[in-house]
Amino acid sequence: MDAAAGTDPATGIAPSDFSRVLAQRERRFAAALLAPAFAALLVTTTFPLIFLVWTSTFRMDLAMPFTNGFVGFENYRILLTDQRFWSSLVTSLVYTGSTVALQVAIGLALALLVMDMKRGQGWFRLIAILPVVLSPAVVGMIWRTFMLAPDFGIVDFLAINAGLGSKNWLGDPLLALISVIVIHTWQWTPFAFMVLLASLASLPEDIYEAARLDRASAWQRFRRITLPLLRPAIVMVVIMRTMVALTAFAAIFTVTSGGPGTATEILNLYAYRKSFTELSIGYGAALAVALLVVTILISAILFALRRAK
Amino acid sequence: MSAKRIRIIALVTVSSLFLLAWAFPIFWSVLNSFKTDKDVLAYPPKLIFSPTLDAYRDVLFGSSSILPNLMSSIVISVGTTIITMVLAVPAAYALARLRFPGKKFAGFYVLATQMLPPVGIIIPYFLVLRNIGWIDTYQGIILIYLSFSLPFAIWLLVSYFEDIPFEMEEAAYLDGASRWRTLWRIIIPQVQGGISVTVVFVFLNAWNEFLFAVVLSGNTVRPVTVAMFNFISVEQTLWAKLAAVSVLAMLPVVVLGVIAQKHIVKGLTVGAVKGGGRR
Repeated sequence: MDAAAGTDPATGIAPSDFSRVLAQRERRFAAALLAPAFAALLVTTTFPLIFLVWTSTFRMDLAMPFTNGFVGFENYRILLTDQRFWSSLVTSLVYTGSTVALQVAIGLALALLVMDMKRGQGWFRLIAILPVVLSPAVVGMIWRTFMLAPDFGIVDFLAINAGLGSKNWLGDPLLALISVIVIHTWQWTPFAFMVLLASLASLPEDIYEAARLDRASAWQRFRRITLPLLRPAIVMVVIMRTMVALTAFAAIFTVTSGGPGTATEILNLYAYRKSFTELSIGYGAALAVALLVVTILISAILFALRRAK
Repeated sequence: MSAKRIRIIALVTVSSLFLLAWAFPIFWSVLNSFKTDKDVLAYPPKLIFSPTLDAYRDVLFGSSSILPNLMSSIVISVGTTIITMVLAVPAAYALARLRFPGKKFAGFYVLATQMLPPVGIIIPYFLVLRNIGWIDTYQGIILIYLSFSLPFAIWLLVSYFEDIPFEMEEAAYLDGASRWRTLWRIIIPQVQGGISVTVVFVFLNAWNEFLFAVVLSGNTVRPVTVAMFNFISVEQTLWAKLAAVSVLAMLPVVVLGVIAQKHIVKGLTVGAVKGGGRR
């Protein structure tokens, strides 16, 4: 059979060429569809990142512009011996570790409780939406005022009635840190709850039947069946919430602005305050780069854990 | 009483306490917004009081009206949503459906952009926008909002595009429809639901944003999340008005959240299955 037989009479192109032309057209079409979005992503994320790293090698003090200039790695050298940097990093880790652990523990416990309920599940699903759709700035504002204000703030009112006495919830360093941890946990536990409830609902029923026939106790069922099956969902929640907690800003900023002193100043807030309150932008950029490095390191660890089993 | 009965009562009590804990701060703010300052500050806190709309009247039509700020929030959120969708829908379709070299990398890049801490974006942004005079402008804020709305929208839409059967497109091509026409006439109508959900979440995230807004806003463009601070200062706090403003800031997102109730888990976890995740 000669080559001409397989050729499309209309175009004079052989089938193999035809599919190549099609593939080429598909590539061009894809490029046209992707170009605008990727151009926007380059401009809004990648270029700023490059410029951020570049800025971090400068002394750029908006309050004292005459001292500005290229300093190489000087900002990073300062950073390594900066007490406030290390303490903000510790605060970040405490804040992230405790809020994520609380969210997952409470969210999971509540999901298990609600899963067993025959009625009223709808209420939980509805109420759980409220905190997570709110702006963290508004949440912070509500807690700072109507919940934590001395005397008439509801938390303080409850503390007084419980015999603990009125506390300076946002003025005492330890209480302030606990307060911002509680606020974050309040807002985002419903997220863990909703995700875990959804994955609980999708677990196969028959495994539990079999376990019940084998007379496995409730604890054994949880430990040997539910937990392993939920593991991917739990790990996903941990990863997502960790990334968010590391860069939490609005709820802390509105409630304590990082204070009293630096008691609630997580690294993210330190980078902000250095840049926009103290107007030392070069060093602030170095802190932001440090935060990026910490974020990448922690997510690398979490992803390694996810793959581990 | 049987052990089972006790267990049920304990269960109901504990879970009701949590329901109360989540609902109460919001409920209490709503209640306070209908009080006078005197009633807000009353000790012990008042559940029964004579409600008034004074706080709302003052914050909406008084001397320090937040109507311009609500307008700012609306312009920013709507603007961000429109531009995000125009850019994200075609990109998501390509990522979900088309074959091209570097596809895996392109998907990874969209996820990786989310790793960047917002504070790391705002520092260089602030310097550039200050140079070109875009601080306190809508274009400045909307541009930077794309940094988080675009990756989110692309990934959420990809998950919806992946659900459409391939036969739809093949049938259209066999009928001789062009690729553009197929995308516009056949595919887009199929993912209308997914597009609406994405619109809701992009709007919601833009409405709630705070860090970029607090740095880039000024007297002309100041969304309501930032303008709230007008009502709280070292000298005095305007309690009832602050409550009213909080309620006005919460209202749109609560309504949208309840409307999109069934999709909220997907909207909150999108992308996480494949990699990153955010806010």
